[in-house]
Amino acid sequence: MRVRALVGIGAVVLLAACDSTPKARSETTVEVSRAVCGSGWSDPHGGTQVFRVHNVGTNTAEVELVDPATGAVYAEVDGVAPGTTRPMQVRLGRGRYAFKCLPEDTDALTGSTVTVRDGPARGAPAVVPVGEQDLRDAVTTYRAYVTRSFGPLRRDVAALEREVRSGDRAAARRAWLTAHLDYERLGAAYGTFGDLADAIDRLPAGLPDGAHDKDFTGFHRIEYGLWHGESMTALRGPAGRLRTDVGTLVGGFDREQTDPNDLPLRAHEILEATLEFELTGAADQGSGSTLATARANVDGTRAVLSALRPVLTGRYRGLSGADASLDTLAKLLDAQHSGGTWTPVADLSRAERERLDGATGDALERLAPIAALAEVRRTR
Amino acid sequence: MKLPRRQVLTGAIGVGAGAVAGAGATYAAAHAGTDERPEPDAVPFHGVHQAGVVDAAPKHSTMVSLDVLADDRDGLRELFTTLTARARFLTAGGTPPDPGIAAPPHDSGVLGPDVPPDRLTITVGVGASLFDHRYGLATRKPVRLSPMRTFPNDAPDPAWCHGDVSVQFCAPNADTVIHALRDVARHTRGLAQIRWRMDGFRSPPRPSGTPRNLMGFKDGTSNPDRTDAREMDRRIWLSAGKATGQAAGEPSWTAGGSYQVVRLIRMRLEFWDRISTSEQEKLIGRRRDTGAPLDGSGEFDTPKYAEDPVGSAIPLTSHIRRANPRTAKSDPSLLLRRPYNYDRGVDAVGDLDMGLLFVCYQRDLARQFEAVQTRLVDEPLVDYITPFGGGYFFTLPGVRDAHDTYGRTLLA
Repeated sequence: MRVRALVGIGAVVLLAACDSTPKARSETTVEVSRAVCGSGWSDPHGGTQVFRVHNVGTNTAEVELVDPATGAVYAEVDGVAPGTTRPMQVRLGRGRYAFKCLPEDTDALTGSTVTVRDGPARGAPAVVPVGEQDLRDAVTTYRAYVTRSFGPLRRDVAALEREVRSGDRAAARRAWLTAHLDYERLGAAYGTFGDLADAIDRLPAGLPDGAHDKDFTGFHRIEYGLWHGESMTALRGPAGRLRTDVGTLVGGFDREQTDPNDLPLRAHEILEATLEFELTGAADQGSGSTLATARANVDGTRAVLSALRPVLTGRYRGLSGADASLDTLAKLLDAQHSGGTWTPVADLSRAERERLDGATGDALERLAPIAALAEVRRTR
Repeated sequence: MKLPRRQVLTGAIGVGAGAVAGAGATYAAAHAGTDERPEPDAVPFHGVHQAGVVDAAPKHSTMVSLDVLADDRDGLRELFTTLTARARFLTAGGTPPDPGIAAPPHDSGVLGPDVPPDRLTITVGVGASLFDHRYGLATRKPVRLSPMRTFPNDAPDPAWCHGDVSVQFCAPNADTVIHALRDVARHTRGLAQIRWRMDGFRSPPRPSGTPRNLMGFKDGTSNPDRTDAREMDRRIWLSAGKATGQAAGEPSWTAGGSYQVVRLIRMRLEFWDRISTSEQEKLIGRRRDTGAPLDGSGEFDTPKYAEDPVGSAIPLTSHIRRANPRTAKSDPSLLLRRPYNYDRGVDAVGDLDMGLLFVCYQRDLARQFEAVQTRLVDEPLVDYITPFGGGYFFTLPGVRDAHDTYGRTLLA
C-alpha cells in the first residue's frame, strides 16, 4: 500500500513541475472571517495547488477544505491568526469542495460549494474528522480492558510480594515476570497513569544515584535486586511498596479521566517506547526479559487498536496492514520464548535482531497515521 | 549553496552520453527564470549507468549497507521499486504532497517545504549475500561478486562488514544527504534494515589539484580519466552482450553496472603526525606539499620507475609504487577511486577516530581491486592504517527511464 502511494507521489511532482506557469495556475488566495469562508476561489481547477488562506476577520480560525456532502477533510490549516496568511497545499481531483471555517468562540461556517471539473479523477484522500463523541465508545472499551486486567495484576503483584517474603529467589523471579507483563500489557506509555506510572515502572535513568537511588521503586527496582544478588530481605520494602502503588492505581482508576486524544496517540507510542527501551535492551535491569515486555506491549497496542477499530474502519485504509504487521512482530517475538524463558536482546543473532527491529519499525510507520487521523477535531 | 561551475560540468559529463533527460531536469526547468542559478541543479537520474560513480564526488556522502528483510522475491521487488521511486523524487526535487489530516507529514522538512535536488546522487549496489537462497537469485549472481576478502593487514569488525545492498548518497550539502537517507530509510522500513553506515566528507583542493586525505596527502591523482567514456567503458562499466574482454561470462543483466568496493580504513593519525615529513613521503611516494611523485616536480608528473629500478627516488615499497607500478602488466588493474574522509569521534584511548571511506569501481574485482590490494600487502604504510570494514557490491545498471526500476534486469 505504501509503495503505490509513493509511486503516485512521483507523478504528482512531475505534473506540478512540468506546469509552465506554476504560480499563476496553482496559487489562489481565499479570505476567511466570521462572515465569509473561502471567498475568492473563482476559477477552480484540479491538480496540486496552494491556497493562500488569508484571515481578514478578528478571530483566530481553523480552516479546512472539505467535501460538503460528508464533511470529510482534504486539508487543514490550524490557528490562522487575524491578518495572517497561511498556505494550504492540496491535490484536488474532480468533485465538489467547500471551505469550512472554525473561528474561535463562534460557530463553524461553511463557504459555498465549488466544483472542480478538470484535472485528475481523484485527488488527495479525505478523512471524515473524528469528534470527541466518536472516541467516547473507544475510550469506554479501552478502560474496560484496563479494568479487566487489574484483577490479574493485583493478584500477581501480591504473589510477587509473597515470594519475595518467602525468600525463594527463583520463585520470586518467576512471579516478577508474570506481574510485570500484566502491567506492560496495559499499554501504559508516556504517562497514561501519571506519577504512579513512574513509581510502578520507572527506570533508574534520571535518578542521581541510578539503580541505587532511594527513589528507585517499582518493578525494575525489584528486578535489579533479584538479578543482582541483593538479599531477599532487602527487597521486601520495594515489593510491599509496589503492591501499595498498584492498589492505589487500581483504586483510583475510576476517578481518573482518560483524555480521548490519548488513545489514538497510544496506537504508536506504546511501541515507540518498546523500540527505544526494550529492543535496545536499555530497560533491562538484569532479567533479560525485555523481549517479553515487547511482546506484552504488542498486546497493549492491539487492545488500543481494538478499541479504536469502529473509528478507524472507513477512515484508515492501512488498518489491515497495521494488523498484519503487528501479527508478524508478535510471531517474531514468540519465537524467542521457550520453556518460560526469553532470549535476552544481547543474545539475538544479528539477523534476528534486524528482523525484530525492522518489523517494529514497519508496525510503527503503519500505526503512526492513526494518531493523525483520529485526533479529535472540532466539527461545529 | 552556489556550486563551482567545474563541479557542475564534470558532474553532468559523468552520467554519460546515454543519459535520458529525465525527471531530474524538471525542477530546474520549472524554476528557470526565478532561480538565480542558470546551471542545472539536478544530476539526471535516468541513464544507462547510475550517477555517483564516474561523476565528480561532491563534498558530502553517506554510505549505508542494508540487509534486506523482505520475505520473498516480491518483497525484494517492492524494495527496489520503492528505492527507485524515492531516488527519482529526491534527485529531481519537488514539493512533497501534504497528507492533510490523514497522516504525519510525508517529508522530514529538513530541506524546507520544497525539496531542492541539490545535485544529489543515489547509487545502489547489491552484495553477494543477496544471491543466497532467500530470493532465488543464486544463478543470477555477477560471476565476480563474492564477500569481501580479508587481506593480511585487515582487522575486520563484523558489525562494519558486508550487507545485501549498498546505497551511497552524495551531495554538495550534508543536509541534503541526511534528508535523502531519512526519506529512504522511512520508506523502506520493514523491507530493509541498516546494517552499517559511514558518513564521508571531501576536502576542497588545497591549494589546487586533487583533494587531500586526512594524512595531508593528495589522494586520487592517478585515477583514470573519468570524463573519457571509452576509458570508463574499458575499465569501469560492464558492457552488454558477447565476450567483451575481461568481463566475459557475466550475466547479461549486469550490462551498465560496475563492481563497487567499499573499504573503511582507520588512520592512526596521532602516530602519523609523530613521524617526519620525509618518512611520510617515502611511505606514500609523493611530496606532501605538492603531491608530486618523489622523482618529479608537479602533481601530475608521471613517476619514472623504469629509470629508478632500485627505488632510490621512489622506494619500491612506497604506496604509489606498489599500488600502481605503471607497467604493461599492471595496467589492467587500474581502477576508479572515489574516496571520502570519515570522522566518527574518538576511540577508547582518546585518539581521533578518523580515516578513509574508500570507494572504488571496476569491471573485475580480482583483476583490479584485489590485484592492487595484493600488491599492497605488508606495505610499510600498514602501520598507520587499519582496514576494519566495508564490502564488495555490484552497482546496478542505471534506471533507464520513468518506467524502469533498479534491478529490473536482475529480477526479470
